[in-house]
Amino acid sequence: MQRRISRVAIVSVAQTRLRPSWDRLQHVDLIGSAVTDVLKGTGVTMRDIDFVIDCGSDVLDGRSISNCGFLGAMGGHHKEESRVEEDGLWGAVYGVTKILAGPASIGLVVAYSKPSESDVSAYYSTLADPFYQRPVGLNHRVASGLAAREYLRAHGLDPEVLDAPAAAAWRNAAANPYVEVADAPDAATVASGGLVADPLREHHVSRNVDGAVAVLLAAEHIAERITPAPVWVTGMGSAMDSQMLTDRRPGELEAAAAAAGTAYRRAGVTDPASLALAEVSATSVAEELMVLEALGLAPRGHGASLYGDDSPVAVNPSGGAIPADPVMATGLVRLAEATRRLTAANATTSRAVVHGAGGIGMQNHCVFTLEV
Amino acid sequence: MSQLFTSPDVPQVLTTTLSIPYTLTPGGAAGQFLAGLAERRILGSRCEPCARTVVPAQDVCGRCGEQTPDLVELPHGGTVTSWTAHQGRVVAKIRLDGADADLLHVVAAEPGAVEVGDRVAADWAAEPTGWITDLAAFTPGRARSGPAEATPVARAETSVEMVPYRLDLTYHHAYGPYYGRMFDELGSFSRLMGSRCSSCHRVLLPARAICDVCFARTDQFDEVSDTGVLQAFSVIHMEFVGQTRKPPYVYAEIVLDGSSTRLIHTVAGDFDLADAASTLSIGMKVKAVWKPESERVGTLEDIAYFEPVIP
Repeated sequence: MQRRISRVAIVSVAQTRLRPSWDRLQHVDLIGSAVTDVLKGTGVTMRDIDFVIDCGSDVLDGRSISNCGFLGAMGGHHKEESRVEEDGLWGAVYGVTKILAGPASIGLVVAYSKPSESDVSAYYSTLADPFYQRPVGLNHRVASGLAAREYLRAHGLDPEVLDAPAAAAWRNAAANPYVEVADAPDAATVASGGLVADPLREHHVSRNVDGAVAVLLAAEHIAERITPAPVWVTGMGSAMDSQMLTDRRPGELEAAAAAAGTAYRRAGVTDPASLALAEVSATSVAEELMVLEALGLAPRGHGASLYGDDSPVAVNPSGGAIPADPVMATGLVRLAEATRRLTAANATTSRAVVHGAGGIGMQNHCVFTLEV
Repeated sequence: MSQLFTSPDVPQVLTTTLSIPYTLTPGGAAGQFLAGLAERRILGSRCEPCARTVVPAQDVCGRCGEQTPDLVELPHGGTVTSWTAHQGRVVAKIRLDGADADLLHVVAAEPGAVEVGDRVAADWAAEPTGWITDLAAFTPGRARSGPAEATPVARAETSVEMVPYRLDLTYHHAYGPYYGRMFDELGSFSRLMGSRCSSCHRVLLPARAICDVCFARTDQFDEVSDTGVLQAFSVIHMEFVGQTRKPPYVYAEIVLDGSSTRLIHTVAGDFDLADAASTLSIGMKVKAVWKPESERVGTLEDIAYFEPVIP
């Protein structure tokens, strides 16, 4: 008789270091490293894994159905393997759902990216509609610049409000062994950076990095045998906004709020601030503030208040996506970072919210709630 | 041997461009919008239940999903609602007069000279062709053309049916340690190197770190012979994008002696391609014919072709 699965846990996470360029390694080398490491110390071998879900972008990778070439490095030979052409956090939704549905007990979710091998602006412009948006120069930077101006204007804020959160992100990343940072800019350096997408400056926008991340998921009855500290997935939600940038509500991220609403209902979260750890994705600091507000962690226009010492929520202690954005793996890296912090010996919280995004101007959003 | 396997100062990278041709089909409303631009008209669509006019015209209302909203011709002037400047170009959201949603376009102005709330007007290309850049840009000031207000129009007779399009994407692929050594060996010594799986002991070509079947690490490089066995073949007569040879040619899978995987290459030699099916056979021995040393560049194309070995 099939066992009824009521809960799914993250039982192991691993990732490569995130660097602006891993120019001496192929995708398969990065993937193989993360997947080899995620099994270490678990007692789980590749034979025990029921399915592999991998997340990446054919356009970034420069080959069609690129997972076919990477399959060996993720142990997918003759296994149920599935590619999600979205951030790895959507792959985790798929994986958790497969286990909850009953036919699988242990699953591997992998996400990877080598944006250093291609032109990230060209990648984002391929996401835009080819008739109206691509020919006028829409890419992720243009979308972020427009979103930042609308956010600041909607709440009567000066661009300087973005400097301290950016400096905090870079400071946290510099302290994170998984992120390569040569020089973390302070708020004054952020403020004097060159304009990239007015009003956004150099350190306000995400820095693309190469890397791979792997997450091992297990059904409840197995999770507790693999690790003494399983991280339970208590809620998941995702939502997508209009493809046309001009059809989305300016100054906020409605789809992020919708995704969070779904996850919170599943998890029974009524006070988002009780989720004392937030690992969120964004392509600019302004959009990071908009995400935090959409997640209900701060009132609209007050996201920047969450970066202070007295903040009820630890925002991106990993540094988040501004200093390190491995496009397509960014959200799954957030899940790995939150998992490590929830299970650390000196953990200060037992609950976390994790967010991933995709598309130009962050059209798509995915939210997880976690608990130990 | 001394020049081999020393870590190069510059990482080995393969630069390649994917150039993909498309024929885009704009479809109903988009086709009429683009055709309208060729006549210096800006067409939007109006959804009556939502009381909302959007531009460019759409077949389906993005809010309520109602199909085929009514077409309207919009004035050529509007107001900047948001803008950014990226790499010297000002891209703005422009609310055309009579519209309820913004149009994304370029404003021809210095970044410092644009403000939210500025009035801008369409600046048309000298010879519009039915493409979004027929609207060359919006420029500050009052409209010099177009209707005074949003005006319902009948379904246009003309439509842009098809747009030739090309996407060019350039990549710098890292070789990494396994392909790096493999191509080093090929370029320096014209020899093929695979890697041996520590578990199943198969020799894998191209060389790689992890065996696809066992998920075990490979533990040594092994030289692979330039002779082998024909495993499968097909005579290709069709032309297609990305082809490196002119048809007809033989597409072949060859298991090289000392390896366990199939190499894709071509078989040629002293036979007529029309007779390929009767000349070649599965299991036949084949041997690499290398190009003259002066023409070798360190790729698999250094092997001109494989030829049948007649016993």
